[in-house]
Amino acid sequence: MKRQFDHSAPSQRALAGPRYWRSLDELSASPGFKEQLAREFPEGASSIEGVDRRQFMRIMAASFALGGVGLAGCRRPEANILPYGKSVEYIVPGLPLYYATAMPMRKSAIPLLAETHQGRPTKLEGNPSYTPHGGATTLIAQASVLDLYDPDRSTSHSKNGRTLPVADVNDLLASIHKTYAGSGEGLAFLANESASPTRARLVARLKKQFPRAIWAEYEPVQDEPPVEAALASFGQSVKPLYRFAAAKRIVSLDADFLSAEAGSLYFAREFSKGRRVSNVDDAKEMNRLYVVESGFTITGSMADHRLRLSSSQVISLAAALANAVLGTSDYASLAQGLEFDKKDQWIAECAKDLAEHAGKSLVVAGAHQPAAVHVLVNAINAKLGNIGQTVDFVAIEPNSASSIKALATAIKAKSIKTLIILNGNPVYNAPADLAFTDIPGKQESILKLVPDVIRYGYYVDETSELAGTHLAATHYLESWGDARTVDGTIVPVQPMILPLFNGLMEVELLARLAGVENTDAYAQVFATLGSDQKAFDKFLHDGVKADSTYKIVEVSYRSGSAKALLATAQAPVAVTEDKVEVRFVIDHKVDDGRFVNNGWLQECPDPITKIAWDNAILVSPRLGKKLGIYPKGSALQISRVENAEYEMGKENAYIGEVTVNGRTVRGPLHIQPGLANYTVILPLGYGRTKTGHVGTGSGFNAYPARASDALHFATGCTIRNTGERHLLANTQEHWSMEGRDIIREANVDEFIANPGFVAGIGMESHAPANLGKDKNMPLAAQATEIPRGNSLYETPKFDGLHQWGMSIDLNTCIGCNACVVACQAENNIPIVGREQVKRGREMHWIRLDRYYSDGKIDGGAFGGEGNKILPEDPQAIVQPMTCQHCELAPCEIVCPVNATVHDDEGVNVMAYNRCIGTRYCANNCPYKVRRFNYFDYNKRSLDELYLGPLANQSEMPELVKLVKNPDVSVRMRGVMEKCTYCVQRVQQAKIAQKRLAQDSDNVLVPDGTIKTACQQVCPAEAIVFGNIKDEKSKVSLAKAQKRDYAVLGYLNVRPRTTYLGKLRNPNDKMPDYQNLPLSRIEYNSKNHPASHGEAAHGESHGHGHENGASGAAHGEHSHAPAGEKPKSEHGGHN
Amino acid sequence: MSKLFPKSANSLPLQLMIFITILGGVATAAMTYYATPKYLRVGYQPIQPVPFDHSIHAGSLGIDCRYCHSSVEKSATSSVPTAQTCMNCHSIIKPNSPLLEPVRQSFATGEPLPWVKIHQAPDYVYFNHSVHVNRGISCVECHGKVNEMAVVSHVKSHSMGFCLDCHRDPASYIRDQKDVFNLNSKTLAEQGRLAEAHQHIKDWKVKPPQSCSGCHR
Repeated sequence: MKRQFDHSAPSQRALAGPRYWRSLDELSASPGFKEQLAREFPEGASSIEGVDRRQFMRIMAASFALGGVGLAGCRRPEANILPYGKSVEYIVPGLPLYYATAMPMRKSAIPLLAETHQGRPTKLEGNPSYTPHGGATTLIAQASVLDLYDPDRSTSHSKNGRTLPVADVNDLLASIHKTYAGSGEGLAFLANESASPTRARLVARLKKQFPRAIWAEYEPVQDEPPVEAALASFGQSVKPLYRFAAAKRIVSLDADFLSAEAGSLYFAREFSKGRRVSNVDDAKEMNRLYVVESGFTITGSMADHRLRLSSSQVISLAAALANAVLGTSDYASLAQGLEFDKKDQWIAECAKDLAEHAGKSLVVAGAHQPAAVHVLVNAINAKLGNIGQTVDFVAIEPNSASSIKALATAIKAKSIKTLIILNGNPVYNAPADLAFTDIPGKQESILKLVPDVIRYGYYVDETSELAGTHLAATHYLESWGDARTVDGTIVPVQPMILPLFNGLMEVELLARLAGVENTDAYAQVFATLGSDQKAFDKFLHDGVKADSTYKIVEVSYRSGSAKALLATAQAPVAVTEDKVEVRFVIDHKVDDGRFVNNGWLQECPDPITKIAWDNAILVSPRLGKKLGIYPKGSALQISRVENAEYEMGKENAYIGEVTVNGRTVRGPLHIQPGLANYTVILPLGYGRTKTGHVGTGSGFNAYPARASDALHFATGCTIRNTGERHLLANTQEHWSMEGRDIIREANVDEFIANPGFVAGIGMESHAPANLGKDKNMPLAAQATEIPRGNSLYETPKFDGLHQWGMSIDLNTCIGCNACVVACQAENNIPIVGREQVKRGREMHWIRLDRYYSDGKIDGGAFGGEGNKILPEDPQAIVQPMTCQHCELAPCEIVCPVNATVHDDEGVNVMAYNRCIGTRYCANNCPYKVRRFNYFDYNKRSLDELYLGPLANQSEMPELVKLVKNPDVSVRMRGVMEKCTYCVQRVQQAKIAQKRLAQDSDNVLVPDGTIKTACQQVCPAEAIVFGNIKDEKSKVSLAKAQKRDYAVLGYLNVRPRTTYLGKLRNPNDKMPDYQNLPLSRIEYNSKNHPASHGEAAHGESHGHGHENGASGAAHGEHSHAPAGEKPKSEHGGHN
Repeated sequence: MSKLFPKSANSLPLQLMIFITILGGVATAAMTYYATPKYLRVGYQPIQPVPFDHSIHAGSLGIDCRYCHSSVEKSATSSVPTAQTCMNCHSIIKPNSPLLEPVRQSFATGEPLPWVKIHQAPDYVYFNHSVHVNRGISCVECHGKVNEMAVVSHVKSHSMGFCLDCHRDPASYIRDQKDVFNLNSKTLAEQGRLAEAHQHIKDWKVKPPQSCSGCHR
């Protein structure tokens, strides 16, 4: 019987949705095209039966004829070599050039090195000269290069729909300068925040020239602590710079410092330093993280103690903690109403732990928290003597810009004649009560009260639509500029390429408005930096200006002014199921909405929810139950009910409605374990109405619910379930490890007692060693000789000079997803769109698996009571998963055409041109890391994948080709692909070494020369790659650690990528202390279900344990009974 | 029942089998001969926009390959010279030659000269010049005696088998490092110094990749 494939027609949503490879010409031709489609496919493009036979023959005949034309003459296609007319300095064809630049982001910047190939930037790396980042970057910085080549970006200046030539733009700017010179009455600016010294200089000049003009700045999200808190606490304009590496005890009060705060990259790197463990002594010094939060962030997933608490209640907790640390009851009034299980013990023990580490502890509060919380935090840090130790305060210029609210008032008073909007997108993201948005029939945008609105932006977006004049901005990779990093270091923003579409640089725009003589952006930046050519050249070369950090200032806590500020703060109102709290969060990928048209970011799943291409209203399991979302279970799952209903990986979510102070937004509901019970999380940045093909139709817009009195969280809100459904693309429908040993973790105490605990977990501990008598061979020998163990089969020969391997430290990995996007950028990985992700066809070579465990799995019976509850307070663990490069790879033996084989250096390689697409290898891969090209993603637009011969099969537009890495093949339809250990980088390093060697034998690549893309980007330095044949290489040292284990090691596939077990560092005095991580409790109850009581645990399970393992088994078993019965059900507050 | 088939039809299956075998054999032989790079590529000699004569420049005049193909020792590509490189000499020598008009145009306008590519590796092959010329493999091994060609043509097959012949037995192709750019030099093996070549392979740790990842990424 012929199998029917489900090639359903793309939904209307998909047609409107991401169409990445689409050219503009196609767009204009689309109506007729669609009509033809409708005629020929009455039932959609589902199957060949749907096509009229004659029509089909006609189309086929046409395509054969076309093919014939193409084949005419059968001649070798002529290719050209096009050398430069004049030689270009530094450029050697075939070799990349690297330039220092930086990605500006609000009040900070990420220093970068841009890799350019003959003048086109293809890949961004962190600038290693900037030591706080050490060469790391974020996923957003990685993806920003794609925005440069976005076909949807604004390509021309326009006025009332007419294209403006550059000369007219210059005239326009000159006329504004002339009109308002001297007074500026009626002129207003609304700009994004910036850390550019040049912009600051030009703005100062503008203010001087237009003294009565309004200069307002607005960012929808706050990512730095409010300055008024610093003013109240210390009487100075300062901001904190946290030194996480020096902190042994860290308390985060709703602060997602690993992702959402300014400087998160620096913080993540410092934090992981305190988390890095190579031996028992390090473990004793490992930091301990307490997290209090309402949502579930990646910071929360790293916590040793995590308390779910509504954001509005955090002030009470801060007050209670301050009381405990300071030994007063001054803040008791603020702490009133705080209620959670074993509250007093929690606070007392946490405070005690902090006090015991005075000077080595750190309390941080989220930037979105009110100033009072920050004042309390400053009081605690001051009392503990942390200031100057784990937190430095640096002097910053007080911001003199007006607020958007003041601007809105002026506009409503009709006193603004000309409004210049620099970047940002206020029509989309300004507070709803300021009425920047046009709602037909309900609300008229206040921008219509301004006669002349000039919008300078990178996209033609919602704001450009309402502005009469739109000026196209340049990408930062096309611009001259400068910026300051989070610690104040001045970094250059250098152009890598001439503006692709005659865009205007921000510096030049401001210079023209300010009437500066030389409006050239380079000249302006040069002038800001001191007009010293030699110093400037060095600055551009290094990418950092030495000794330009903000000055660290001595601060002392002033209780007087602090008390005055605290007196204005009020204790929070109770959050209940009828009056829920709404928390607006910045999205991990699209930020505040500015990156919504970036396919790499859209396709990258959220680190916690694992939803791609959409956002969702996140509710706790308890609130979900109240809303009537409580799935009955799913046939897909073995023993657990799911946290939403899934149909083949598509999350069938209910649509919910959240009402905040009379303002309602609708979006799909996603149950997120680990949320505060009655806090609803609304991620910002989606639901754009005017954006490019990728961003259109993704998610819902949460901004309309957001008013200027409650920008970050609001209480007294309601939520209801509409009963409608919406399919979300969720890349990880299963969230439980089912008590298996995929991720192995232990508490620090156990690790100290038994450093080899990983060997006592999993199937290996119950079976003879894979390597048999050779199990004690050194790693290098194991890698090259591949001992057969007791196997009858021959094993492959690895006689290469190097033997590559990788080690991933689960203890430092923070799950930020930067590696996913870095890999995508390096290896030309296509995006496949929402519909394909729903079918599980995403192409990422590396993914992060996120597991929850709450320790309540019922191992005795699948479907037992313990398996039917949704965990409210789970521990989350993330694991980067990519091709493990097995030495005895299961994929290789099933390939009928030898397309996947080993090379002599132990890398499992794919020969794309041999692959015929049987997909046997993917089926036989135990790690599910092989990816198949179901379609020609590089040739077809994503909404035409199913159109067969009707689709436009032209090559992708030249513009999007530019981003491709020339050193990696672009794969076609029907071939399998997967992680290659960045074989292009390996080969280039080897070639470079051989080039140096000439007629000598110095061909061994030194350790550290090669960094894989995922390794290079990682802020936590969790990934190490290198030659395992070299005993002193970093990777060999990592693999020699006792925590080293192989996932599914018992299969005897002998993966070259191994993991270092995770450690948790809980405080045994805390009420929520568990002497085993929750996943281990599940592991024990799953694997020893019979011994459910304490008595049975004395029995020996130690048979067959190999060296070190029996100790582990002992430790584990003796602890397990206590672990199985958690001491308390912590964390929930009512 | 009347006879549906004549008696001669009895031999038809045999005839068919023989016919198909012969046809298949001929087709296989034809494909092996005609559809391989050895037939399709060797002898390719396109007309170039400027009739540049290697036999004069590299042969009679003795200009080193690297004067024009300047990145061959550093980069994956050997690079074709910019018009500026040509003008280094031709602003003095034959400054008014009509044949050089395209070069002067290119130099003046910056528009590249569309040289026709002769040796073209497929997109999925990542050949690197620098690693070969730095490790004793001469230009002549792949490109032939370009110094004797008035018009360059494709002389070696550049098939995967051609690459592997050398990668499996580098000793037969290796030269003294000083001879790499001397297209008239001989390999060590041709000089009867095969044992020395083998010693070099050992001393220099020459281990050309024979795995897929060496060339395909």
